[in-house]
Order: sequence, then structure tokens, then C-alpha cells
Amino acid sequence: MKPFKFEQATTAVQASQTHADAAPNARFISGGTDILGEIKESVLEVNILVSLAGLSGASEIISSDLGLEIGALVTLARIASDQSIVETYPALAQAAESVATPQIRNVGTLGGNLCQRPRCWYYRSPLFDCLKKGGETCFASDEGNKYHAILGAENCHIVHPSDVAVALLALDATVVVSNASGDRQMPIGDFFVSPDVNMLAENVLEPGEFVSKVKIPKPSSGTRSVYLKAKERQAYDFALSSVAVSLEVRDETITQAHVVLGGVAPVPYSVPQVDSELTGQKIREVDVQAIGQLAVKDAQPLSDNSYKVRLTASMVARAVSRLISE
Amino acid sequence: MAQLPISYSASITLNVNGTDHQIEVDHRWTLLRVLRDVLGLTGAKRGCDRGECGACTVLVDGDPVCSCSMLALQVGGRQVRTVEGLGDANSLNVLQEAFLAEDGGQCGFCTPGFIMSATALLESNTDPTEDEIKAALVGNICRCNAYGRIIESVKAAAKSEAS
Amino acid sequence: MTTFKTIGKSEPRRDLPEKLTGEAKYTADVQLPGMLFGKILRSPHPHARILSINVDAARNLPGVRAVVTPFDAPKGQVAPDMPILDTEARYVGDEVAAVAADDEDLAEAALSLIEVKYEQLPFVTDAVEAIKPDAPQTRPGGNLVGGKPLTLIRGSVEEGFAQADRIFEETYSTPAQAGAALEPRAAVASWDGDNLTVWKSTRGVHADQLALSLALDVPRGNIRVMGQNMGAGYGTKDETRLGAITAVLAQRAGRPVKIELTRQEEFVAGRHRHGTTTTVRMGVKNDGTVTAVHATTIMDTGAYLSSGPGVIRRAGQGALYLYRCANVQYDGYLTYTNTPSGGSYRALGAPQGHFALESLADTISEALGIDPLEFRLKNHVGLEGQPGERVTPANEVLDTQPVEGGVPFSSNGLRECLQRGSEAIDWGQPSERPESGNLRRGKGMGMFIYRGGAGGRSIARMRLESDGSLRLLTGLMDVGEGSLTVMPQIAAEELGVGYGQVLVTFGDSETTPEAPLTAGSTATFSTGTATKEAARQLKARIIEVVAPLLDTEPSNLQITDDGVEHIQYPERSVSFAQIAESVGEIEVEAAISPGSRDHVINSFGAHFAEVEVDTDTGQVRVLRYIAAHDSGRILNPKLAINQVEGGVSQMLGFTLSEQMLTDPRNGVTLNASFLEHKSPTVQDFPEMQVLFADVVDPVGPFGAKALGEPPSIGVAPAVANAIYNAIGVRIRDLPLTPDRVLNEIEAQRGDSQ
Repeated sequence: MKPFKFEQATTAVQASQTHADAAPNARFISGGTDILGEIKESVLEVNILVSLAGLSGASEIISSDLGLEIGALVTLARIASDQSIVETYPALAQAAESVATPQIRNVGTLGGNLCQRPRCWYYRSPLFDCLKKGGETCFASDEGNKYHAILGAENCHIVHPSDVAVALLALDATVVVSNASGDRQMPIGDFFVSPDVNMLAENVLEPGEFVSKVKIPKPSSGTRSVYLKAKERQAYDFALSSVAVSLEVRDETITQAHVVLGGVAPVPYSVPQVDSELTGQKIREVDVQAIGQLAVKDAQPLSDNSYKVRLTASMVARAVSRLISE
Repeated sequence: MAQLPISYSASITLNVNGTDHQIEVDHRWTLLRVLRDVLGLTGAKRGCDRGECGACTVLVDGDPVCSCSMLALQVGGRQVRTVEGLGDANSLNVLQEAFLAEDGGQCGFCTPGFIMSATALLESNTDPTEDEIKAALVGNICRCNAYGRIIESVKAAAKSEAS
Repeated sequence: MTTFKTIGKSEPRRDLPEKLTGEAKYTADVQLPGMLFGKILRSPHPHARILSINVDAARNLPGVRAVVTPFDAPKGQVAPDMPILDTEARYVGDEVAAVAADDEDLAEAALSLIEVKYEQLPFVTDAVEAIKPDAPQTRPGGNLVGGKPLTLIRGSVEEGFAQADRIFEETYSTPAQAGAALEPRAAVASWDGDNLTVWKSTRGVHADQLALSLALDVPRGNIRVMGQNMGAGYGTKDETRLGAITAVLAQRAGRPVKIELTRQEEFVAGRHRHGTTTTVRMGVKNDGTVTAVHATTIMDTGAYLSSGPGVIRRAGQGALYLYRCANVQYDGYLTYTNTPSGGSYRALGAPQGHFALESLADTISEALGIDPLEFRLKNHVGLEGQPGERVTPANEVLDTQPVEGGVPFSSNGLRECLQRGSEAIDWGQPSERPESGNLRRGKGMGMFIYRGGAGGRSIARMRLESDGSLRLLTGLMDVGEGSLTVMPQIAAEELGVGYGQVLVTFGDSETTPEAPLTAGSTATFSTGTATKEAARQLKARIIEVVAPLLDTEPSNLQITDDGVEHIQYPERSVSFAQIAESVGEIEVEAAISPGSRDHVINSFGAHFAEVEVDTDTGQVRVLRYIAAHDSGRILNPKLAINQVEGGVSQMLGFTLSEQMLTDPRNGVTLNASFLEHKSPTVQDFPEMQVLFADVVDPVGPFGAKALGEPPSIGVAPAVANAIYNAIGVRIRDLPLTPDRVLNEIEAQRGDSQ
């Protein structure tokens, strides 16, 4: 590990300024489980780590009639077990519970999870000078791409690694980002950017900016949600494919739907055509297999990952099926 | 002449097994490194150094964490518990006795990590189901795959603590 | 029935208490005054000539104390095809140079200052490609080890196939699998004048002592190797280069040096299970009688030979010996490639060979309309061994992996394993149909044979010490299998004292007598036999010296927990402490070269799995697993069950999720991490039942046979056959990951659901 300086920020302003001043070789750190791995692998060179752990108010979960506010420093373990989240936002609790291991969930935070870097094995190896690291080539284009994207990828074929982001997008969450001059917020779908927009980052954060909280609107009483994740072993695996679905059902009819795919695209992947197809359908009449197929209609699998097309269709069908039979 | 890379150091107070230690640390040192190399507490093992195997598991404020994946500076002022705080070979605690009786280990390299994860589990749940035991231990890899005996050990410990 | 004091009892594992408290020291825990930290520079190229190395900048970094490169390293060999450091790099990760510095961070910084000029050479990463005539050559002698396959023949397969009504042939592949012992290898070296002490992760201190002596050109007597607790290895830690490099650095620095590999290094520079491609051709009569078996295995040894020749041979053992058949042949092609090096890993090739053989057996059973269990019951090798004439002269010890017929086994509980295992899984009953329409359940089985047997020459020493305690000394290492517990059980039983009364000293090349590697599942057999003999001798000696003290004949005396007593007049007794006080320390040593002229000593078993396949997601869950083993008498049931369960679970990883992936474009290992080389977790562990056949081997110590490796052999075929039974799809390439299951469902059934 190359030397770096660890700076404990006490205010958002201080954190932001320290980071902005040292950019581009500064990073924020909250739990650190992902960023330390990158530094150890020499994939990331940093001069300074700005710790957000001391910021006040960032470790709270506030539940109100309007919805939920979760501070960026709230750990995944808390999200997975928080009673209000488990009851009202089940997809989020399930997604948080599906991450890594208890040890990681006890340290890993919401903000860190959203900002974690890709797990692509070319990106993570210093022996591949890949597009995502500023190189010329995506090594996944032609082979060795079993875990890579089937949707929404042009040049770089990473998949976004976050489980939680997939659930949050299905729940129409808003991300609040802060810097020295204040906050701005955006729908979480706008927070993430694909490599075609910015090859070197997965989100819109500018130097000095960090995620400070996430807001989720309170779902109506007829809303239900679920997160499902396919893995290669029972536990401790990133998603081969995952899906979060939120459905609002009134009088046996779907009045709102949001289906989001994970593990298959460079960003948490919304499929609006599925949402509109579902909306207005009687729950007993939904052809879940057709819905699943529709979700992967635009898939462009690579040499080794066509299985993800079928898998993802099945996952969507299963998630929708589970919700409409609730 | 080659130059030493500039490194940063700081003084922290680390509370380990109830004792405060005033330690000078390089900013990049992990908690595991400090435990092993500075404090000589070698029960926590460096199995992967990436938070992927759990051999370095210790409790921070009661929660199991991978000490390889936290900087020592992140832990200053918090309560750290390691396997050394539980007892020695001549005075095993209830959990350790259960592991001995049920043969909950083989090569033993993962064992301190399992003991710490199981300690946290039993402190928060005195009567765990098998599924709860598995969920609590899933972050600890045992390459000898002594999982069957480990599960039985934790069950036995819960049982004997209850009686 | 014999009653035992400790044999057959689940005595607690001797070394576990200190492992439970963190007190147990592993090599990386060794701290010496003034110790430096070493780091190894590794090749980024799969095949390259090292033209030059400039270490000036690294050497000039304050705190860097020693550097070694191929150009200045001692010229010894750490293996026949591997010098301490070489000017040719043969895989990505091959050792190129090393440094020792005051701490780990400095050593790492120093590595980044070393400039290496490479000339890249053509490379090949696939074994099947490597044996083609125009393949890039990894070595001057060609890629095929020895220039020809290993061919083993009994009878004539041509004749056997001529007798067959039907002939079946299928090809199966298995990937390289990392053993990935949780403890990354480490070594500490310290010189005192001409004397070298090495602490290392090892399963054989005497083998290491010899290998280091040859590599460093230091007399064997000047080298002491101390085994610490071993964070397991399963065979994958057998190599000498790490210890040799550490020793060279320590010598140059004049201070002790420790090198601790990172997890990534352990993945690529450790030894792993060889990837294989195996074609099995079997001839059968319509009634199911096997008339010919011909197996061909292409095995990737990677960049170095390591134990490849032994492994390629064992990959054929199933084909040669599991089914009763007069006409069999095995051709094994061991091939170099520019990938990480294969080596010994639990059961050495047998799992790969059995996967192909036992999968094909199911194909044949189905084609002939015979139940797979019946097919095995009809054809499995029996106690009498194979048909044919004994080839080994009558006065010579039989090979433990026989090819020849006409030699009986010492014991063979295979039939009992088949019967009891099948009963336990309700073989005749089809699996329940799960509620969900996308889940399918099925059962499968596989049987196996394993060369266990005698092992190498071993010496055990037993002592009545001056304070009256009893001590067993052996150079053996306990690598997690439990010999530190079972050896004192054997000694105590033979002596007639309680288990706890026998103290043990293991694994120090200076203070303990020579023992072979804890390898090949032979520790109980070889060192156990030596231990039993040493205990017998000590008992005789003690009684002999006590007889005059108690004024009687030795035949009137017996050993008790406390000492020696007169059989008729127990009040006439003397304690061990008193004996030692009067006659001083008593020490005996027994050396044995185990083996049998009359019998082949092998272990057997049959595994049965019930699985559930999710046909939507391709995920396979093992619901129930029955492992039935003939390993002779079980000396410590709890440890034995742990060993079997662990072996099965470890190989569920091999079967379902683990594989080392090498990028063919640049030779880089893509998944050198626990996250990506997907070993089973506790949540993957299925409901499992272990059965032991009621066999007492007439040759083994207290009737025991090999146990350590056999659990790993039956897993892949049992699970693959169960998957076939569940979904009617046969997957011939391991691991059976969701992508393969989904792809094969689509390809073989044309089923779009």
C-alpha cells in the first residue's frame, strides 16, 4: 500500500474543501471496505482519504409520513434490520441483507455502497490497462465476460455492483449530495452515469461532493416491493443478475410499477417499457413470463453471458409473480 | 539515491480487550496490522487482507468486522475485542469448550474468526436457529470446510449457556 | 470383540484448545528480534526471458537490507525443473526477484523500484492446445512431459471392445482448482553462522530440510526446519522456492527474514488441482458386464512439474481398477503450459478421473436400462482384486495403485458402502416433486477407489521421560487432519495407558525423527504403524526393567494408567515416575517401511447426493448428501466425520463453483481472490450423513486405512449424476455453475422456458 494521509473531517464544509483541494488524488472514506481494497490492489492511487465518519446527522434513519431519510453513514446492517425499512421498504432491506457478509455489512455504509467501484476483473487487476482506468481497451468485449453487462453498455462492459442502488431506484429514491456550498439532490436514476457519459466514474459527483443522504418517498398503502438476487453460491457473491420490483396495487389492478435490473448493466437499469406494460393490468392477468422477456428485449449479450438474458427474464418473472401473489 | 515514500503517522488510543493502548500508527495501517504487529495479538489472522475470508474478525463496539478492511484510525476511541480477550487454553469459555467437544475446527487458521463471529451472535441471540447460525457465520471461510462441526459447536454452546 | 481404551473413541483434538484462544502460532505469527520483511517481485508476463534486472534504486532505499535476483542467486535447484530464481519466467506470477527490508511497506516500495528488462516469448495457456504439434513451446524439450503419455495396460482393450455388445465414449473436463488454504504460505529464515533455521508452512519438515539442503548447498545437518501450526494445505503448499528465497535474503542481510505471501500470491504461486480433459471409452455386454475400459487424460501441469507425474497416474486409477475388467488401458498426457503450476491437491487426480468414469457409468446404465446402483453392484471390483495374473514377484511389496490383476485387497468394503449409502438416501424412491414448477429434484451416485495404503518410511520415537511422563516424538506434521490426536491414541492404546497420558512432539527436523509428508492419506498408516511399534517396544522395555524392581517375571506385569503393576498382586506396583527415577529415561525408536507383499491396501467409498435444480436460474442446491466410506477401522469417529464432511464440502466447491481462470491473451489469473474463486460458505453446506463400513483392515494399525483424501473423490460425479436425474441434462464440464446449467438446458432440451 502506498502512503496516504487520513483526514478526519468534522464538518461537511471541511470535508468538501479538503477533498476538492486535493482532487483528483483525494477520496472520501466512510466504511472503507471497498476503497481500501482498491488502494491495496494499486488500482487506485490516493494521497488523501477524507473520512466522513465524524459528520453529524449522517448516521440517522428518520421515518416520517413523507417517507424515509437515511444518512449516508448508516451501515448496511442497520438498513437490513431497521424495522421501518423491513416493513415499509422490504426491497431495500432485502438488498442490504444480500450484500457480502455480516462483517462487511457492519462497516459498509449506504453512501459507500452507492459509490463503490466496479468489480470487473479487468478493472480490478493492475495487469489490465482497461478503458475504465483510462486505457484503450475493454478486455471484456470479446471474451472473459461471463459476469459482464448485457444491457446499456457500449464500450466498457462493467456492471454496477451495488445491490442497494437497484432497490433504491425501484423505490424512486432521491440522492442528496453535499459540498462546501450546500446540497443538491436528484433522482437516484440521475445519480448514476454509464461509461459512455463518464468513463472514469460511475456517478455525477464532482470534486468536493459526497453523498450525504438518501430520501425515499413513503409508498402508498397498496405498494409492495421485493429484491431478488441470483448468485453462484448461496452467500457472499455479487449478483449474476438481480431485480428490484415495486408495485402499487389497487383493486387488484397494478396502478404503478417500477422494475429495475442489477448485475446486468453499467448502471442500475430501469426498464420503463416493462413498467408501462404492467401498469393498468389486473394482477390475475399478468403474464409474468412475457414481462420477463420484455425486460430483456434489448439485451445484447457478449460471448459468455447470454445465460444472463434467460436468467434475468426469469428473475423478473419471479419477482413480479411473488408481488402479485402477496 | 531513492527516497523513502512520505508516510503519515498519528497517535491514537486503541481500546483492546478493555485496555487502552496509546499507539503511533502509520495512516495506512489497518486495524489487523496494528493488532498483530504492534500489539502482538496474533489470534486474528491475515487470510486475505480484503475482507473476503473473515479470519481477521474482531468485534468493534460489539459487532464483528474484518480488521483487515478497517484502518486503525477508523477505530480510535472504540472498543475492540479480540479472541485473546476470551480466555486461554487452560480456561476455555463456554463457546470454546463447545468447539472442543464438537470438534469445531481442523487446521484452526479460521477458528479465532469463527469464535468472534459466534461470540457476537450468542451475545445478541441466546437461542439461535440453524439458519441464524449460518447467517451469522457466512462471512467466515473455512477452507477445511469443517462447517458441519462448527454449526454443531455453536448449537451446543447455545444449549449449554441456556442450561 | 476387542475392547479398546482409546481407539475408536472421539478424543478431543489435541491442538484445538490453543487454536480456539488464538494462542496457536502459525508461521506468520513468528516474530524474531531484528526480523526483516521480504517481498517477491513476480513476472507480469506468461513467458519471458529476463534480460537484465536493475536493483540499484531498490537497494539504495534506506531500510532495504538485501536483494536477490536470478543473476546473483545461488545456483541450486528447488525442484528438478526449478532453480531458486530463474532467468526465464514461465507464468504470470513467477518469481523474478526478492527484497528484504525493515518493514512490509518498505519492501513493497522497494519492489516498485526494481527495473526488469524482459524479452517476451511465445506462450500457451491451454493444455489441449499445448500438445498440438505447432503449439508455442514452453520448454526446449517440448510441452508434453517426457515426450510421450504415461500408458498403463492390463489385458488388451482391443479384445475387450471386441467382446462388447455396445461401446460408449464421452469426454469430460475439470478446471484448475485452487486449494486456497486459508493460511497463505509463509516462511521465516534465520542464520546463526553456518546454521540455518527455517520456520514454514509445511507438511514435512524432513522433506523440506533435504530440499533446502540441496537447493542452498548447505549440509542437511546444518539446517533445522520447524513446522508451526499449519493453516492447512491439502497438498498445495509442497514447494521449496519460498523457503529458499527467504533463506538467501536472510543470509545476505545477516538478519532473520519473514516472507508472508498475500492471498493473491497464494492463489497464483501456490499449487492447485490440475485441470484435465478426460475421454473414457467403455465396452459393455447387453447385460451390463463391463468388457473394456480405456481412459485418456490430458492434464495441465502449468509452468512447472511439481508432483504432476504422480497426479497424472492417479487420474487413471479409477479407470484401471474400479470396475472388474480384464482389459483396461490408461493414457495420461501431462502437459506444460504457461499458467500457474499444478501440484498435489487432495486425492491427486482421482477426483478428475472419477468424474469422467462415474458420469459415463450413469450414461451406460441408462442406455442399457439398468439402475445405476445395480450397474455398480454388478461390476465393482471385489476383495479378490482384478482378474489376471500377478506381475509383481511374490517376494516384492505390491504397488498401492496396481494395474495388474491377480492381487487381492487387504480389505474391500465397497459393496457395503454401496448398500448402506443407497439405503440412507432411499435410492429406490424418486425425489419428491417440489411445489414450485421450476424446481426439479434428483438423486445421483458415484463410487470410488483410492490408493491409500502404506506411505513412506517413518520413524517414531517413544520415551519414558525423567519425570515419568510418556512422550511420542515424530517428525510428522498435523495439517488439520488430526494426526496430533490420533498418534497419541495409537501409542496410548498400545502401551495400555490413557490417551491424555501420552505427550507428543511433532514436526521439528532436529528433535524429532524422520517421518514422511502428511500426504496421500498415509499418515495414520505409516507413522501410525511406526508409532504402534515404538509403543510396543517401550512397553516391553518398561516391563523388562520393572520386573527385577518388583522381583518378578515380566510376564506377570502389566501397564496401567499409573505405571506398572503385578497382574495377580496389583498392590505390587510402581509408578512411571518411580521407574524413571530408578532406571532413568527410557527411549526406543521404531522404523518401519510399511507395505504388503500379499495385499493391495486401498480405501473405497460410495457417495449419494440429492439435489434441487432451479431451471429458471440454473442454480443447484444440494439437499442431502450421504458419504459412505471404507477406511478400515475408524480410530477417532468425530475427527473422521469432520474429515469426510470437510472433504465433501470442499469438493462441492470444485463441483459447483470453483475454478481458476487464466486469460488466454496474457496469461493473467483473473480471479485470484476468495470473492471470485468461489469456495463454499457455511450456507452452502448441505445436510450430510457420514457412514463407515464395518471393516477392520488386517494390515493397517488397529485395522485403519486411508481416510484424508477419499472424501473428495465421489463428489463431482454424485452431484452431476443427480443433476442429470433431476433435469435430464448432462453437463460434462465442471464447475456446474448457473450459466452452464442454463446454457445446457437450452442446448440439450431446446426448451425456451
